[in-house]
Amino acid sequence: MTIGIKSGSNKMPVRVKGVGDSLWVTLDTTHPVDYLKKQTGKLFERLRDLTVNARVVLDPGTPDGHDDLISEIENYLKNTFHVGLVTRHSKPVILPQEETSQNNKEEINTSDVEEDIKEVTTEVAQKNERDEDESKILFMSGRIRSGQKITTKYHLTIMGDVNPGAEIIAGGDILVMGSLRGTAVAGQPDNEKAIVLALDFRPTQVQIGGFVAAGLPPLPESKTEFAHVKNGKIVVEDYIKAKPFDGLHFPQIRKC
Amino acid sequence: MCKQALITAIYLRGKNLQGKVIVITSGKGGVGKSTGTAAIGAALALEGKKVCVVDMDIGLRNLDVLLGLENRIVYNIVDLAKGRCQIKQATIKCRKIENLYLLPASQTDNKDSVNPEEIQIVCNKLKKEFEYILLDCPAGIEQGFENAVAPADEAIVMCNPEVSSIRDADRVIGLLYSKSITPRLIVNRIVPEMVDRGEMLSHKDVVDILSIDLLGLVPMDEQAVIAANRGEPIVLQKDSKAGEAFRRIGMRLNGQPNLPIEIPTSQKGFWKKIGRRLGRSN
Repeated sequence: MTIGIKSGSNKMPVRVKGVGDSLWVTLDTTHPVDYLKKQTGKLFERLRDLTVNARVVLDPGTPDGHDDLISEIENYLKNTFHVGLVTRHSKPVILPQEETSQNNKEEINTSDVEEDIKEVTTEVAQKNERDEDESKILFMSGRIRSGQKITTKYHLTIMGDVNPGAEIIAGGDILVMGSLRGTAVAGQPDNEKAIVLALDFRPTQVQIGGFVAAGLPPLPESKTEFAHVKNGKIVVEDYIKAKPFDGLHFPQIRKC
Repeated sequence: MCKQALITAIYLRGKNLQGKVIVITSGKGGVGKSTGTAAIGAALALEGKKVCVVDMDIGLRNLDVLLGLENRIVYNIVDLAKGRCQIKQATIKCRKIENLYLLPASQTDNKDSVNPEEIQIVCNKLKKEFEYILLDCPAGIEQGFENAVAPADEAIVMCNPEVSSIRDADRVIGLLYSKSITPRLIVNRIVPEMVDRGEMLSHKDVVDILSIDLLGLVPMDEQAVIAANRGEPIVLQKDSKAGEAFRRIGMRLNGQPNLPIEIPTSQKGFWKKIGRRLGRSN
């Protein structure tokens, strides 16, 4: 989810974006410090509880300079919104991942322990930047019971039922090969193209991107339906009849 | 009487008895855990097994009232866990049913007064004296639940055919699985007339959501209230449908796992009843 405050010009002075498990705050340094602080405050107020203990990366646009601004905003965020760690973005975004992937090549065929560490670092690097070309899925089987929660930043497929009181959260689409009776949260944080599909569609609540819809009273018979965002609203339709992907001329990779 | 009990105890100890600990839980309160524990305990005792029902609801004890033993409590499970008494002092023999004993909860302590390790030790001692130890778990999934589940070999989840009860039961089933216990289900308080009218979830709907093995179906029964007020387990009530269902559950637990599960039916219409019976046998 990218949220920002618009000033007179088209470019926003402060922008917040979720990157991996951090909040990425881009600051337009052409504005005065107090103004930027105020705008940051406005944005963080909208994030509410998400800010508590969150990791924040401040990006003033240049690798160095603006130390006063950074420390001012760091203190402000820590004191007012109780964020966890505040770091400063100093390198271009792509660099860390390139470094790790190079390291990977070098480190292959070393000891198992090192390989494990390497895997973790690759994962972290991938977290920092959403992979545009790849379509990844968390594929699970079994029943998700009340009180259990499945979270992934990729697409999510569950072969089994999702019971009332359970939560499934995905960065992309959610497919439930069974009854969906719990809460399904797709397209997190800002993918409004995501869908929620279930063979037996009777969820408590559906969220797609920033949209929320309460579940409808269940139909007497089970039906394969899907929820998607249409004209700023979540719409539920019969999947077989609606054929939502019929308009595509070629099969495409479904990005999450 | 006392002498006979002593002889039985010596005999059982000689056999190197290893009892089975079964926890009866539900998550939600008021679904019939305590009534069910008393009834299953009584049913197993009537089968000739030596049974101890343990009230784990420390601070809010009830099981003693249901068994009509509230005036005989001297020591309780907290005393036993803290080593202030022996098993023979703490367990109370039921007046009406041979072989049924109660280990009462303390009313003045709270759930944090004991920890799972202490309950485990108590149950290990009980296992040497009794063939079945039934733990009546308190509502909720906090310390009381942890205490009751820690020593359990098996679990029975009690559930009413209503949405809130199912959701809590589902949560508890998830927690039991995470503790490597495979629970079995009793659906309690079924009103067949309401199920027929489509106003109540049927046992099939409940099993569909919870997807665990069914141990029994118990119909709603006014006799349960009467039995509770009188302080005697419902299985002793003549012509009580719930009592009959609990007796069958007792038999199913006690070496007859394949005993068919009776589906509660409404009484109206002789031919309808016959038809349903035929339908079930298929």
